[in-house]
Amino acid sequence: MKTDTHQVPQGEGKGRTIVLTLVMAVITVVMFSQGKMPQDPKEMIALVLTLLFANTLFFLLLYTGRTDRYRAIYFSTFAVSLIISFVSHMFEARGSMSLSETKILQCEVPFCHLVIPMTLVPMAITKTIIFPGSLLGKYASIASMFVIWIGATLALGRGFCSWVCFYGGLDDGFSRVLKRPVIRNINPKWIYLPFAVLLLVALTAAVYLSPVYCSWLCPFKAVTEFQAVTSTKILIQTIIFVGLFIGLVIVLPILTKKRTQCAFLCPFGAMQSLTNKINVFDVRIDKEKCVKCKRCIQVCPTLSMSEESLEQGCARITCMKCGKCIDNCPKGAISYHIKGTDIPGKRNAYRLLFLFAAFLFLAIFSSHIIQDGIVRVLKLITTGSMIS
Amino acid sequence: MQGFFLGLSSGLTCVAYCTPVLVPYMLGEGKGIAHNFAALAQFLLGRLAGYLAFAFVAWLINLSVLERLESKGLLIGALYIIFSSFLMIYAFFKTDAPCAARSIGHIAGKIKASLLIPAMAGLLSGIAFCPPFLLAMTHAADKGSLSYSLFFFLMFFIGTSVFFIPMPFIGALRRFQALQIIGKMAAGIVGLYYLYAGIIAVVAGVKGI
Amino acid sequence: MPKIRSIFGYMWAGAAIIVVFATFLASDFFSRALVASSGVKISPWYSGGEVVQTLDHGSYRTHVHRPVFDALIGEKDEGFIQVNWEPLAGLPSVIEESFDYSGDGKADFSVRVDTKTGEASLAPINPMVVSIRKTAKLDDGWMIRVQLSRTIKKDR
Repeated sequence: MKTDTHQVPQGEGKGRTIVLTLVMAVITVVMFSQGKMPQDPKEMIALVLTLLFANTLFFLLLYTGRTDRYRAIYFSTFAVSLIISFVSHMFEARGSMSLSETKILQCEVPFCHLVIPMTLVPMAITKTIIFPGSLLGKYASIASMFVIWIGATLALGRGFCSWVCFYGGLDDGFSRVLKRPVIRNINPKWIYLPFAVLLLVALTAAVYLSPVYCSWLCPFKAVTEFQAVTSTKILIQTIIFVGLFIGLVIVLPILTKKRTQCAFLCPFGAMQSLTNKINVFDVRIDKEKCVKCKRCIQVCPTLSMSEESLEQGCARITCMKCGKCIDNCPKGAISYHIKGTDIPGKRNAYRLLFLFAAFLFLAIFSSHIIQDGIVRVLKLITTGSMIS
Repeated sequence: MQGFFLGLSSGLTCVAYCTPVLVPYMLGEGKGIAHNFAALAQFLLGRLAGYLAFAFVAWLINLSVLERLESKGLLIGALYIIFSSFLMIYAFFKTDAPCAARSIGHIAGKIKASLLIPAMAGLLSGIAFCPPFLLAMTHAADKGSLSYSLFFFLMFFIGTSVFFIPMPFIGALRRFQALQIIGKMAAGIVGLYYLYAGIIAVVAGVKGI
Repeated sequence: MPKIRSIFGYMWAGAAIIVVFATFLASDFFSRALVASSGVKISPWYSGGEVVQTLDHGSYRTHVHRPVFDALIGEKDEGFIQVNWEPLAGLPSVIEESFDYSGDGKADFSVRVDTKTGEASLAPINPMVVSIRKTAKLDDGWMIRVQLSRTIKKDR
């Protein structure tokens, strides 16, 4: 068999990369510090490290032309930092990871984007949010998460799931543990499961005015917060959370090299897929260059590439714009694309515009969480405890 | 509400099986969207009549058999477990379900489509021994009230009918296979709920003995 | 035409970058604007509903919320009414109070809450009052939710 030279990806030139990284550096210094330098040495170290980390990765993204490799490092760091930061906050505020009934009754539960699909129908009809959180002001308030969701959706569509979601980095990270998958053949019909989950949770939440996915199915409860086990029902729910987390976020991603939670369960992801239709960025295949080697189908972590995609020249609606297929295509036939423009056209310009939007979102959104994660780790090293 | 969800979750599959019945008729007649809606309305009324008849049967089963049983909870729980397991297998692994509408589809293909009376097709297509339908029968029989049984099957009917609405716009059926899979998977998740309910009922029944 | 489409595409992509900046730089503004323009509130099933009556007992206050029966469309048969007492420092060791939520001038139920042990008891007067649904100590007080039902079952 003829071996192809890996022609792509091609990065930007050195000078251009340096100039663009400098632009990013200025933006990140302003956005990360919010105009003031921290007084605490640990916080200062965290800020400097976060800035170095972000800008080094951005430089490498541009210079090497590889997207997924460096995105994944940032994305997984974000997810791990979130767990460190969030759990430390919970221990500081409540003394445990479990959510007390008092916090629920006082509507002080932090809101996360996974609840959004369940809130939309009740919000439209009853003008109420079916979640025991605070609308404004407090930690992870409902309105602030909605603003972030709307902004990310307008800018990236389902790119949210590879560039913004603070959980996605977990199964993304675990899917890279092994070099080759142990389980290879996955029936593509499973990509429809998140849509079924979305259909059911949105309807049941509307009818029962309760966020049923959070109560019964969310795997990330296992690493953020869950209700204190005070009854058999809560025990069963906790077992489901832990089981789904171990299965879909750790074990199956390792064995399949796919993001199984995101691709086969998450109802939020299913909803985001629909927003891909109205987003300006997509992933396209140059049919003239494509030799149908199916490498993209093998590597896509969400089964968003299929033979039909190759025929049609575009990824499935579930594409998370992670860039893995682009990095792996031996002919450089796959690229980010701006709707309305030519294919392949100015592929570097398309990529650059997408990367600026996506990377900026990831960098700014994650900055305080990563900084707090670093501060917690420094605290652990210096005092033996992550919490104050 | 479970009736609605069972119907809703299996509705796409019902549409998939009923399409061969209805679409040839609509295309054969070729009289436009208004006519298609009228045919669809007749068809759905036929289905509703079929379902209400089954609601009555479910109530009779309760009256004649279940009410006399000492361990009714145990039996109902076991039926929930069996049917929900079928439902999950059907939803996640199998592609075919025993549904009268398929046979009607075959017959419709052989005879002149225009001869098919939509209401009769609807009535016959209500005879569906697919797992969601069997679970719905068990649920209705469990409750033992005629009004509840009728209401439950009415909700089941509404659930299955939601997906028939775009049918008059035949072009909207292009993404049909994906919708069919989503509907079946949604039914499978409902099966999980019934499995949980069945286990709880069996445990309670065993404790009762 | 393709050129116009292409220009429009680039403009849209540029706008996406502006959206990213706007999301973070004006997050507070957008959050407040979103809440104000949509008029959304937390569901009464979680917040307990609006406070309709506040009774001042000197060292502490009683906040009576409206009965909650809200459904997606219309109302449910089952609901609850929430009562809060605050501040924690001013509460007596035992609170005993009667409530008339129906507004007919007669008490519908009375509750007794031991603020030391958390034990609570309910004396229903109105047949719609069912049981205690939840009692909890909050950061600055106590609360109780009393289950209400509009269908009076035979076995009660």
